[in-house]
Amino acid sequence: MRLPLSLALADLRHERGLALTAAIACAAVLAPLIVLFGLKEGVIAGLRADLIQNPRAREILNTQNRAFDAAFFAAEAARPEIAFIVPRTRTLSGIGNIEIPGRPGETQRAELLGTAPGDPLLRGVQQPDGMGVVLSSALAVRLGVSAPVDLSLRIVRIVDGRRETMVLPVRALATAPPAAFGREGLFLSLPLLLLAEDFQDGLIGPDDTLPAIAHEARQYAGFRLYARRLEDVVTLDADYRRRNIEISTRAEEIAGLIGLDRNLGLLFTTIAALGGAGYLVSLGLSLWANVARKRRDLALLRLSGLSAAGLAAFPVAQAAVTAGAGSLLAAALALAVAWFVNQLPFGARAEEYPVCLILPEHLAVAAGATLAGAMLAALFAGLRAAAVQPAEGIRDA
Amino acid sequence: MLPALEITDTAKRRGTGTSGEFALLIPHFAVAPGEAIAITGPSGSGKSTLLDMLALALKPDTAKRFSIAEVDAALLWQRDRADALARLRAGTLGYVLQQGGLLPFLSVRQNILLPQRLAGRIDPARLAALADRLGITDQLDKKPAALSVGQRQRAAIARALAHRPGIVLADEPTASVHPEMADTILALLVDTARESGAALVLATHDPTRAEAAGFTLLPLATGREDDTAISVLERQ
Repeated sequence: MRLPLSLALADLRHERGLALTAAIACAAVLAPLIVLFGLKEGVIAGLRADLIQNPRAREILNTQNRAFDAAFFAAEAARPEIAFIVPRTRTLSGIGNIEIPGRPGETQRAELLGTAPGDPLLRGVQQPDGMGVVLSSALAVRLGVSAPVDLSLRIVRIVDGRRETMVLPVRALATAPPAAFGREGLFLSLPLLLLAEDFQDGLIGPDDTLPAIAHEARQYAGFRLYARRLEDVVTLDADYRRRNIEISTRAEEIAGLIGLDRNLGLLFTTIAALGGAGYLVSLGLSLWANVARKRRDLALLRLSGLSAAGLAAFPVAQAAVTAGAGSLLAAALALAVAWFVNQLPFGARAEEYPVCLILPEHLAVAAGATLAGAMLAALFAGLRAAAVQPAEGIRDA
Repeated sequence: MLPALEITDTAKRRGTGTSGEFALLIPHFAVAPGEAIAITGPSGSGKSTLLDMLALALKPDTAKRFSIAEVDAALLWQRDRADALARLRAGTLGYVLQQGGLLPFLSVRQNILLPQRLAGRIDPARLAALADRLGITDQLDKKPAALSVGQRQRAAIARALAHRPGIVLADEPTASVHPEMADTILALLVDTARESGAALVLATHDPTRAEAAGFTLLPLATGREDDTAISVLERQ
């Protein structure tokens, strides 16, 4: 086999101009396919990451004040579809006023949100604990402060027409990412939130402090939960509606996005399959034409006593070299184009997720498929070459 | 001495073109090592058909015996052993074609080396000696396209003899060269083939020049029978 291989390489060297042209032609078709695939990967990966990494997409809130007991929360927390669940207080009582020490009179209203370890909204943020709280980014901007900072949280109640205020010295440990909560909000540990609620309910006086008093069979007005996967939101949405629990979710939007993901995938797969098939056919035809062009040389080799397998190996070896060079060239081109595309301003996500995502394994698959396709096409050409009659070599064309 | 080539009761019929059918009959044909035979006859008399068969490139319709270097190719044809025929070609036959038939993508040296590699008989000294004898030592590292027609035919002779074949076939090797050059090339072909003890078979339409170069002439006997043109080759 070494002789036909060295002959095939010698022929390629002799016609390096043509061989280079063939490799460029190969790259010219392959590179756009790689870029197209990179775009599909980038767009869909970005879409998915956006939805999966933004916990708000998996958020489910109940919308009416109800009475859920501890057993309800225990049961829901145990469900595999639910990643995290935390109780909420009544919507009207979940309000506080924030004051910066040293600037009395300037207060800012904020929604009070109970939280617990594992809250997806506060991933990567220091966990509120005791008197330690976390600011929503809108609240931090409104207050003009940056954590850590000491603040006072003022809870107001009206008792017999008198206004009473509980002042809680809290320490803002951190600021939540903007995506966590869009309005002015304060994340509190659950005991602190319940302390505020108990004060508003008239159960404790303004001077009481943590720990909050223990209640037998405490009831909670609502919940805030996060589904484990996007698809679970759709399931949970249907489940709560069946149980007559009014909720707000992004289920419709998610169902749409999941459909879009699937359709985009199908679209890109179709384009890539058509392009890829056309590419392999053109590669095969050019190799076939090459054998026709070299028929006389091949016949001479046959006449000189080269075996049929040796003749067949001739175009296969040339195809492998051409396809290999073409793949390398295509990979270089595609990476350059991807780099350029990723420099373009395609919206805020561009810095986080590349629009065109080309991984080494994509390039390996592209090169592998090209080599396999080219060598398969060349094998047919090679079988044709093997059938070249030695007599064709005797007569000069 | 055993003949390098011996054929008995072999026939090949061809086509039904405008000129009707054609048949080449070989009752007996033998060539001894070192002999130089020129097959002559007008064009269409079957010289090419004969050479194709001798080159094991064309299967005869019938062949009682078709012995090339003491291997009976008739049996290989019967069993359709294409690669065995290719090996027999590689080991025992050398060719000089009309235009030289050198591979354009190999240097002259690689072209001459090719039959040695195919026969598994690498012999650089033989290559150097032939190149020297044929006056192409300076051309060895050029591609065939860089050579003159005469130099190319000399290189083709070197290639035909490089692997010390028992039989050398030449098909109008001087058809495209200058007449004076043709005499030189034919003489070189006869001399080098004789020096290496090969049986040489030439197909030519120019008996005078072949005889002058030292070939023994063997004309194809031509005749007609109904619509069939018949050529007969006979030599004891």
